[in-house]
Amino acid sequence: MDEFQEILQDFLVESFELIEQLDQDLVELESRPDDLDLLNRIFRVAHTIKGASSFLNFDVLTHLTHHMENLLNMARHGDLTIDADVMDVILESIDLMKALLVRIRDSGMDGGLEVEPCVERLNAVASGTPLSTIAEEPAPIPVAVATPVPAPTATTEEEPDYSGMSEAEVEAEIERLIALRQAEDAAKRAKASQSKATVQEEEPDYSGMSDAEVEAEIERLILKRQAEDAAKRAQKSEQQPQPQATPVPVPTPAPAAPSAPMAAPAAPAPVAPPKPKPVAAAPKKIEGKDDGENRGGSAVEQTIRVDVKRLDHLMNLIGELVLGKNRLIKINDDVEERYEGEAFLEELNQVVSIVSLVTTDLQIAVMKTRMLPIGKVFNKFPRMIRDLSRELNKKIELEITGEETELDKSIVEEIGDPLVHIIRNSCDHGIETPEVRLASGKEETGTIRLKAYHEGNHIVIQIIDDGKGLDADMLKSKSIEKGVITEKEADGMSEKEAFSLIFRPGFSTAAQVTSVSGRGVGMDVVKTNIEKLNGMIDIDSEVGQGTSMKLKIPLTLAIIQALLVGVQEEYYAIPLASVLETVRISKDEIYTVESRSVMRLRDEVLSLVHIGDIFEVERVFDNSEHAYVVVLGLAESKIGLIVDSLVGQEEIVIKSLGEYLKGIEGIAGATIRGDGGVTLIVDVAALMQMAKSVKSTVGQESAEAKGRLGTKNKPSDYTIMIVDDSKTDRTIMRKSLEPLGITLVEATDGVEALNILKQGDHLFDGMLVDIEMPRMDGYTLAAEIKKYNKYKNLPLIAVTSRNGKADRMRGVESGMVEYITKPYSPEYLMNVVKRNIKFNEGL
Amino acid sequence: MSEKLQQIINKQHKTLSGDDVKIDEVIQLVGFIVGDEEFSVPILSIQEIIKPISWTRVPQTPNYILGVFNLRGSVIPLIDLRSRFGLEPMKHTEETRFIVMKNGDDVAGFVIDRLTEAIRLPKKDVGPAPDTISEEESMIDGVGKQADRIITILKVWKLLERNF
Repeated sequence: MDEFQEILQDFLVESFELIEQLDQDLVELESRPDDLDLLNRIFRVAHTIKGASSFLNFDVLTHLTHHMENLLNMARHGDLTIDADVMDVILESIDLMKALLVRIRDSGMDGGLEVEPCVERLNAVASGTPLSTIAEEPAPIPVAVATPVPAPTATTEEEPDYSGMSEAEVEAEIERLIALRQAEDAAKRAKASQSKATVQEEEPDYSGMSDAEVEAEIERLILKRQAEDAAKRAQKSEQQPQPQATPVPVPTPAPAAPSAPMAAPAAPAPVAPPKPKPVAAAPKKIEGKDDGENRGGSAVEQTIRVDVKRLDHLMNLIGELVLGKNRLIKINDDVEERYEGEAFLEELNQVVSIVSLVTTDLQIAVMKTRMLPIGKVFNKFPRMIRDLSRELNKKIELEITGEETELDKSIVEEIGDPLVHIIRNSCDHGIETPEVRLASGKEETGTIRLKAYHEGNHIVIQIIDDGKGLDADMLKSKSIEKGVITEKEADGMSEKEAFSLIFRPGFSTAAQVTSVSGRGVGMDVVKTNIEKLNGMIDIDSEVGQGTSMKLKIPLTLAIIQALLVGVQEEYYAIPLASVLETVRISKDEIYTVESRSVMRLRDEVLSLVHIGDIFEVERVFDNSEHAYVVVLGLAESKIGLIVDSLVGQEEIVIKSLGEYLKGIEGIAGATIRGDGGVTLIVDVAALMQMAKSVKSTVGQESAEAKGRLGTKNKPSDYTIMIVDDSKTDRTIMRKSLEPLGITLVEATDGVEALNILKQGDHLFDGMLVDIEMPRMDGYTLAAEIKKYNKYKNLPLIAVTSRNGKADRMRGVESGMVEYITKPYSPEYLMNVVKRNIKFNEGL
Repeated sequence: MSEKLQQIINKQHKTLSGDDVKIDEVIQLVGFIVGDEEFSVPILSIQEIIKPISWTRVPQTPNYILGVFNLRGSVIPLIDLRSRFGLEPMKHTEETRFIVMKNGDDVAGFVIDRLTEAIRLPKKDVGPAPDTISEEESMIDGVGKQADRIITILKVWKLLERNF
């Protein structure tokens, strides 16, 4: 990159930063049109961009900003009142300016966009006041200009305001300083007159002279600076904003600041004899000046701009250090074991803990350098809400809290889009029109609240609206209509599950596609992006009351806490952010429903998948009756991952698998462990996807191990009991299964079925059980059967017309492996039975 | 104004551009054995050669990808050249080595049966790969002829290319 490119880059970075602030200021301005500070700030942004762009020869941009500047200048002087119409024009021009800047960034040219109509509108709004007067006359500054300093003749035509302004402000500053200094001097003089009379004569002389000199010096510096400016404006424009990371840009005090201290030491040196008094006065003056600046403008933050690459590099190095630390800790543990009680151990322990402590602190410190306030993202929303509310004819207010909450830069970049979609959604679907709101007894103006706060190692962003809320039934019917889900699926859905339908691709509740929403893409993007960040989404909503969406995102991406799990002889790391809990269950608690493994976790049914099935781990041994289930939660879905062992929690550094192995499904990356080995990191989002297509093998191995009683030589060796109170139903089942040639035994209710089982005349391979039966229903029967150890693995298949979720749940609890809803096709029944009794086709 | 600036900047940036150094007429190769054959790769494409260390299996990859290993903090894929060339896998021996090859940013370790030697070969002694090469063997860059033997030179970029 050559230097011109560098200047251009700095210009762009600066401009985009300024504009970001600008949007917010402008929206604020609309509510407070008289706020001079705000106006000045906005004006200066336009001015800075104009100055820099003219230097860089972006004529179109200069042309546009020049007219913006004019208009804003008029407003600043009270010649123009900012109302909604004027604001529209200003906002339009800002948008155009942004577009031009984007164009410059992408192509290096500012052509190709039509700015003339906008310029005309700007002029039209401004018309009535001759532009020339503003252009030529120095701006009257609210601060009274008392000292008549001759205006510098070098003032360039294109920038009268700039020089006028800076001068005026410098003057004001000087004026203030002089007053301050004179007051000080007077006090000192009074003091001095008591002790030494001779000094008295010199003193007024000196103070008068030094004042004049200070002025002269400042004057000279200004002139010099202006001359330099022509050549150096580019550097200047990148230097100036540097100390201005604070929202208020203060371009003019910046040049004044160095000039004052420079003038001060220069002044007393030649005139005053080396007396302690004037010398002491000089630093005092500087102090006073600094205070004044802090009071007058905003607190100038001490910041430097650092290339993100350097921070990334630093972060990588820290990553290495963390790995080294982990390794050191491991070695320390080994040494401790081997040389227990030795004196040097204590010392080693200390060193290790210090290194570990410092590394952790260092890591936090470096992470902090990468942190940005989320306000950076939030800033664009006031403007967006304003535009949306005008477009949708709604009255919407945005309340932002916690914008100072910080999070990693890479996350700030990713979080913007999802938030835009959510807020758009809230505006479009959430908040009702004023009429509707009034009719339903709400305030006319809807409120969207945007909250950010820390919660442990996470940042939580909450978007709350007081709109019409989500209607679970409506969401379901819409989804069915759009073919996103089937009716059967919809029936079994809880309210929360229904809410999460809005994240399905292709789903939209908007009656028609508007420019705001309705294409059914947005919320899908939200989910994808949040998942990418290992975040979670939680929706709460009440019809008529509003919706609250909670995004929970880990603070940083590069170094994370992970849960290490073992399967056979392999280890995997699962990001702790996605781990909700871990539970130890006995294998009996794993049920199979429609050939998927599930378990009951408190009042939920959790589908299970074995990590070995996902990652093709050969299962050589299976040693225990127990399994560990890691409950994973991501965005709005949950899954239980069965693992062989839980190793522990460790801080890991995410490393890429490189170009050659990238994009392996289910693997997010790798990390290096304390022992130097590589451990793969599970990509929870992908794992959840994969789990859908993986066939369960969880429950089978134990069943297979025990095997069925007896050997099967012919189809009739298989025996099935049909339990149903309805003769018709029994006949249908019999007819369906007869083609298999298996032995069928019938029972009319639970009690009879249980008796047949107890008699032991038949060795059953499976049972088809109706739920609704007299004397003893299907659930009770199943529960009774499962009490016998002998029948623990006997497949019980429910055949019923009850298909609610609660019914299925009860079925699972009581030990049913399959749930067939009436009506069913004979083939279906046959297949289910065949599968469950492991029917050997070859016989 | 800016044109002027541009000019100055350009001038400042005009660094002395040396004449292109003449490419050496001799190529240097490292020879190794996989199965019964001797192969070689240009010495400059080799980052390092190490003794076998432990690696971690990566699921959902072809069988010739053994997994990944840790090379001083970098996670690097490990490819078994025997399997890659369609040979029966063999237990690692004392002579087994990992050759870490690189091509630009692509780096991978390759398991070979044993090393032979570093070879200096005049460019004129390198012939093209035989025409009868099938697609599977298009990893061959050329064939080096020495007095007593023929050495297959492999395309490193092809070896490092992901083909699944």
